[in-house]
Amino acid sequence: MLRVALKDILARKRRLVTTGLAILLGIAFLSGTQMLSQTLKGSISGIFDYAYDSYDAVIRSPKEQDLGFGQKLRVPVDAEVVEKVRRVSGVRAASGIVESSTAKLIGSNGKVYGSSFGPPTIVYNWQSDPRLTSGSLTDGRGPKSNDEMVLDFASAADAGLRVGDRVKVASQEGTREFTLVGLVGIGPDGKTSPGATTLIFPTEVAQELARIPGQFNYVVAAADPGLDQITLASAIAGALPDVQVVTGEQFKAENVNAIGQIVDILLTFVSVFGYIALFVAAFIIYNTFSILIAQRTRETALLRAVGARRSQILFANVIEAIIVGALASLLGLLLGTGLASVLRSVVSNIFSMATTQAVPTASNVLYALGVGISVTVISSFVPSLRASRVPPIAALSEATVDRANLSMGRVVWGSGVLIIGSGLAVVGFMDLGPNPLLTFGAGAALVLIAVSLILAPVIIGPFFGAIGRLSPWRGSIVSRLSRANAVRNPRRTASTAAALTIGVTLVTLIAIVANSIKASVDTAATEALNADFIVGVGTFSLGSGLPESTVKSIKALDSVAVASPMRFGPVRITDAYGAKHAAEGSSGSSDGSTGSFGAAVGGPRGQDVLVAGVDPQTIFDVLNFGKLQGSKRDFVDGTIAVEESVAKKRNWRIGDEVPLYFAETGEQKVRVAVIYPNNVGSSAFFLPISTFKANMLKVFNLDFLLSVKVADGYSDSTVRTELERQVKDLPEVTVQDIRQYIDSQTAPFDTFLAIIYALLMLAVIIALIGIANTLSLSVLERTRELGLLRAVGMSAKQLRRSIFAESLLIAVFGTGIGLALGVVFSAAVSTVIAAENPDVFTYTVPVGSLAIIVIGALVSGVVAAIVPAWRAARMQVLQAVAAL
Amino acid sequence: MSSTSTDLAAAGAIDAVKIYGEEDTEVRALDGVTVSFERGRFTAIMGPSGSGKSTLMHCLAGLDTLSSGRVFIADTYLDTLSESQLTEMRRDRIGFVFQAFNLIPTLSALENITLPMDLAGRKPDESWLDQVVDILGLRPRLTHRPSELSGGQQQRVAVARALATQPQIVFADEPTGNLDSRSGVDLLEFMRHAVDSLGQTIVMVTHDPTAAAHADRVVFLADGQIRDEMIEPTAERVLDLMKQLGD
Repeated sequence: MLRVALKDILARKRRLVTTGLAILLGIAFLSGTQMLSQTLKGSISGIFDYAYDSYDAVIRSPKEQDLGFGQKLRVPVDAEVVEKVRRVSGVRAASGIVESSTAKLIGSNGKVYGSSFGPPTIVYNWQSDPRLTSGSLTDGRGPKSNDEMVLDFASAADAGLRVGDRVKVASQEGTREFTLVGLVGIGPDGKTSPGATTLIFPTEVAQELARIPGQFNYVVAAADPGLDQITLASAIAGALPDVQVVTGEQFKAENVNAIGQIVDILLTFVSVFGYIALFVAAFIIYNTFSILIAQRTRETALLRAVGARRSQILFANVIEAIIVGALASLLGLLLGTGLASVLRSVVSNIFSMATTQAVPTASNVLYALGVGISVTVISSFVPSLRASRVPPIAALSEATVDRANLSMGRVVWGSGVLIIGSGLAVVGFMDLGPNPLLTFGAGAALVLIAVSLILAPVIIGPFFGAIGRLSPWRGSIVSRLSRANAVRNPRRTASTAAALTIGVTLVTLIAIVANSIKASVDTAATEALNADFIVGVGTFSLGSGLPESTVKSIKALDSVAVASPMRFGPVRITDAYGAKHAAEGSSGSSDGSTGSFGAAVGGPRGQDVLVAGVDPQTIFDVLNFGKLQGSKRDFVDGTIAVEESVAKKRNWRIGDEVPLYFAETGEQKVRVAVIYPNNVGSSAFFLPISTFKANMLKVFNLDFLLSVKVADGYSDSTVRTELERQVKDLPEVTVQDIRQYIDSQTAPFDTFLAIIYALLMLAVIIALIGIANTLSLSVLERTRELGLLRAVGMSAKQLRRSIFAESLLIAVFGTGIGLALGVVFSAAVSTVIAAENPDVFTYTVPVGSLAIIVIGALVSGVVAAIVPAWRAARMQVLQAVAAL
Repeated sequence: MSSTSTDLAAAGAIDAVKIYGEEDTEVRALDGVTVSFERGRFTAIMGPSGSGKSTLMHCLAGLDTLSSGRVFIADTYLDTLSESQLTEMRRDRIGFVFQAFNLIPTLSALENITLPMDLAGRKPDESWLDQVVDILGLRPRLTHRPSELSGGQQQRVAVARALATQPQIVFADEPTGNLDSRSGVDLLEFMRHAVDSLGQTIVMVTHDPTAAAHADRVVFLADGQIRDEMIEPTAERVLDLMKQLGD
């Protein structure tokens, strides 16, 4: 039987190409992202190996604040810790390190150097002790006075800066100028780029830029020769009870993990689209195998007639699937490796960072083969089973085409699957069960299968009937023929269309939800913002903001009636609700076994949120909070204003004392002074600036934006000019009117949508391959019929047109169901969102976007027919007729 | 011998040569055939398998092209036509009946009959259509799908389709080949009737002497050449001639 299977593959290799192609693309995408992730993590780990190589122990504060995405910000330590560490026996050298992302390099064009997608900019203090330096100077010398600095060689080369140049650096205190006196690199010869834009200053300057005067982010120590890291770390921890000590190795591992986590989150997100593509591929494989098996019914029956057992037929078909799956997976792995290499060099260029060549590991190969083969075998199993049930007598009967049975039973069990799928999706979406995401995914997949595979064949007849009655070409024979062809095998048409349905469903769902959120944000912001201008930093990043002097001088302008500042910082809410909804790993941990000693990380369990710090005197003038509970006069130091929906959820009432955990000052009780109904955007929690300042780390204590109201008698344009003059030396700060500000707030949605659409293209391309494949196989199957049509006078043009029409009908069906499912799903998702954000969320259907989606899907349906139509029209009439 | 002038003939071939393969494997399926088919007559082409009778018909009908020589339908030489003109020729001026699989399974009997007109975007001539349908006895079957018709009925639908456009000539390739003898005789009688009462021209390829006996004239082909012909044939005489040619 193995030989039969192999012969079959060889005989049908062209027909199996599409099956293979669908798997190949999916596997290439998945293994490509996997390998990219590996090589990036490897490179990052290499950089940290170099950068932190001389550290045997790291001494730091046990207190930290969660910034989300696994990023943490630690409380700095006082300078005196360095001296204390130096006195511990076994410490050969110790030094304080400033490490902060609070300053930006200004390029020669006057703009901030680098983009938000590019490498981070990090400020360090210059280390003169050779026992604790990482890397070395490649040019010039270290900074000696407070107006000198050193830069990494890669950023310098990229920004066109040379030793001796004057360099501008922007920080919250405005722009400062330095002389570039040296260039550095990491690694033994200083030739390795650190991957980040590295700005190095004398300690005092670095501390000012990092907003930690007289302090260090952490202290590092080198051990006496022969002393191992663990002994050193525990010795230091024993001598300094208030700090946390980790070994150098542990410190490296933490940093690698933190960045690895971001890489993982990004690439997991991207991988989801690879799995969607494979899901689509599964439909195509199911379809191709169904058709192939139906076409060789007689051959199978003959095998049975001469003595093949059912199990042997099944075996032969499964072997065929395994071989196709394996070949496609290996080719996919190859393509994935190429893909990873290309992306790797792109990343290397952006981050000017050396990365290693992407090479598939044994686990990559196993993964690709495992996933590829399983998808192929599982999706071809039902057709294979069907083949094994072919009775020997079928060898004698007419060649059969794949006949569909559309019994009522189909409707019943299809509805059953649909209900189970919907149930699972709802359970997953409500965040119940052990793995909500998986539950939701499985539920959604079941719904798609139920609708587009089991139920769709039943509605295909009526659907195309309706189209036929509505079509302007209903009378034409070409249109009638193509409709009849699309309906003649509903199961095949349905599963072909299903591939497209998945793509359209997802695109529709995302388009509607994103658009609704965007529109809601827009509406809420328009309603909430009561100012004329917003002066602020475009994107939130640590240490970006308005210098105090600028805030003061804007407030002092005659043309400005109100200028209300707002700043943001992370806080952990440690009430019962917060503890229950604490993010995984958000509560502190100290595991000495892995190289951490001394004071454990503090901090109770809770939910990390962003709170706003505002001026109680003016905030109510520039933000429309709606009808307040409590009095705005009570909104004073030590209180909090909170949005009504949040207060309800957390069961907070006016006068309640609620616990907030700050890294700097620990848990603090604040009194609920104001509960307001409107969603004002930015945050649902407001603290008076005095409270914010007293508890929040200094890096956050910086006004992020200023809401400005124009004074009577001044025109908007005058004020804008005045404001722009105030910030002209602050390259990160912009002056926007309310419309511009709202547009800039909603712009990321469009970027996000564009990325998702791009990633979904893969699934849509695979769906198109599926349609083209089904059509080609159908054309082949109908060779005689097409020959007959040509013989009795159908022109080549008419034949082509009928295949285009058939393809278009399949596309219309797939798109129609996808659109319907997308709308239903989006309505379900929106109901949940709306329940959490009452009065704000409005379900908005982006008619324009949906029209583009529909047109795009239909156009792609036509594109899919190009090859089959060309092939059919090229068919020699006699050849076809001779088959009669 | 028969006339080769185009004004009397519905169709014909002049020095038709058709060669398949090359050099060593060369097969001369038609080896200088000159023949014409008169209007309003029922002509049978006979010959053993491999004699070139199907090739001759395919070339006459514009389904295949000659290696040399010419074929014509009425006053038109087919080699002067472009691909699309040839398609229109088949659609509007030629009718076909094949041995089997004559019908489009997704269309009803009536739709199959009017298919060539529908493809041309023309309305069928209703009274002609009625006549054809009645002669072939298809009136009660018009709404049925091919799968709901017997083999004989299917072939009658095919003949009706071939006649529906009032073509200059109908080519039938072993139309009874797949039928039992009763249905076969019925079909031949219907075809005979169509020639007699509707004045149609039919050329039929067959290897069955009984079938050939329904024709007005039989042309005998062997090894790609015309060997003989017979007017007013009977099954016995045809069989005798076949035996002679076979020797």
